[in-house]
Amino acid sequence: MRVLRFRSNRLLVIMVLVFFGFICIFPLGMAFINSFKTKAQMFTNILALPTTWNLDNYARSFSKMHYFRSFINTVVITAVGITGIVSFGSLAGWALSRIKTRLSGLIFALFVFSMLIPFSAIMIPIYRVAQVLHISNSLLGMGVIYTGLGVGMAIFMYHGFVKSIPFDLEDAAYIDGCGVFGTFRFVVFPLLMPITVTICIMNILWMWNDFLLPLIMLQSSKNYTLLLSTNMLFGQYSSDWPAILSALILTVVPVIVLYSLLQKNILSGIVEGALKG
Amino acid sequence: MLYRMKRGRNRWLLICTAPALVFFLSIKLIPSIMGLWYSLTNWNGINPSKRFIGFENFREIFTSDAYFWDSMGFTLKYVIWIVIAMNLAALFLAVAIESLGRGKGVFRTLFYLPNMISMIIGGFMWNFIFTKVLYHFSDNWGWMFFDKSWIGNPQYSFYAIIVVALWGGTGYLMVIYIAAIQGVPKMLHEAAVVDGAGKIRRFFVITLPMIRQAFTICLFISLNNAFQVFDVVYALTGGGPGRSTQVVALNIYQEAFGRSNRFGYATAKSTILFAVILLITLIQLRVMKRKEQEL
Repeated sequence: MRVLRFRSNRLLVIMVLVFFGFICIFPLGMAFINSFKTKAQMFTNILALPTTWNLDNYARSFSKMHYFRSFINTVVITAVGITGIVSFGSLAGWALSRIKTRLSGLIFALFVFSMLIPFSAIMIPIYRVAQVLHISNSLLGMGVIYTGLGVGMAIFMYHGFVKSIPFDLEDAAYIDGCGVFGTFRFVVFPLLMPITVTICIMNILWMWNDFLLPLIMLQSSKNYTLLLSTNMLFGQYSSDWPAILSALILTVVPVIVLYSLLQKNILSGIVEGALKG
Repeated sequence: MLYRMKRGRNRWLLICTAPALVFFLSIKLIPSIMGLWYSLTNWNGINPSKRFIGFENFREIFTSDAYFWDSMGFTLKYVIWIVIAMNLAALFLAVAIESLGRGKGVFRTLFYLPNMISMIIGGFMWNFIFTKVLYHFSDNWGWMFFDKSWIGNPQYSFYAIIVVALWGGTGYLMVIYIAAIQGVPKMLHEAAVVDGAGKIRRFFVITLPMIRQAFTICLFISLNNAFQVFDVVYALTGGGPGRSTQVVALNIYQEAFGRSNRFGYATAKSTILFAVILLITLIQLRVMKRKEQEL
């Protein structure tokens, strides 16, 4: 009797989870199957699998949204941003953690407090700063801005992590004649790898999926990121859903590939980032 | 080494933090201060001259900007719905998944998936669902519940936005809750079983108090994100029909980068948004701290 009730409970839980899981992938699935149809085919039966796996829509949206260029643009912005965040963040976080003076307390407090400033509160002044520095409408400039926005959080996380590393190795390196930067580069930085992975995952996902900042910064379409190109296409194709859906699928593919390859790292990185942040 | 130095410690500190400080100061701190200044000017983006006009912008916002307060009201309603619904949903999914033996990983991966996708893309996909696919259910299967103008009618578009936001954000909170539940010592449950406590009782007496910290974090995250919501609304309704689903971030964006280009005025609005978020964050941190001490 008891065993039976236990089983039925579990079955119920599984059924509920399957239902929600279905809702989770429903939009993706619908977008996928309809992206291969013509408009007429879509209207005959929107739920049906396509009769032929026709790639016309993909060919059209691929060239229209300059997929390759947009993809490279997004990669460049993310790469510049993550390089800045990790290299400057780790160096500063290490120094702030190891040197205990009044000044270091002050600087650290400045970084931590500023984590409370929401992006929407400063987006207009940032736009102005970018104009003055001549980094608006440039890929490199986007990376610079992301570095400025993201480095505070990275410093906070590195600062916490450095505390758990023993001093001895740094001492040994110093005695062996390593300078400050040498010690950091060859001894400390490799030890920071676990937290670096976490910081990379968090920040890459943020920059890759960010929309509002590129929307206000990048005016010329040659600098468009994947999201901006998709947005533009959505406006141009208006009711041509199959074409729009193919663009959406194209934009999602890199993320899905990344997720399926690094799923374990991403999930644990996200949890770690949230708990430490 | 660094910490053993007698002299020059502050010099090394400055050398090591200088690159980060330069970026941080120019992109985050200086703009924050500039924002306060701009909100007191009539800067309009086209005309390079800015004139100090005192609290004129704030006076206008408080006395004659009904659209802004509508968007603030809409955002508040959204925040309340999202914070409650998303945390309940995430906690429910986390507990349900953790109660399974095998297959945990599959569901966890599945529910987190939407979080990987930008809400712009997710919003466009759901736009398709709401404007095309759901009518298939009502027209062909007779599920008349779906026969509504989900995007075009402000009464329903709020719920459409909530559904999409939950779709995109619940997985994130869920993985945090799962990690917290996994951190609860098994011993406690075993002891409670010996004492005759049932599953539901154990959830309320053991699991819930033990994951208090995760609860604080999730509340903090969902509250902060919800107040700044932009992408979902932009992709799903664009703030429409009319301005009925306009959120604060969208209102500010359109004020500055839409037709009017009133940067000074828009900055005053974002200063108000910042003040609201800061106030709520501080209250929340205070309340949570007190709660944790009591327990």
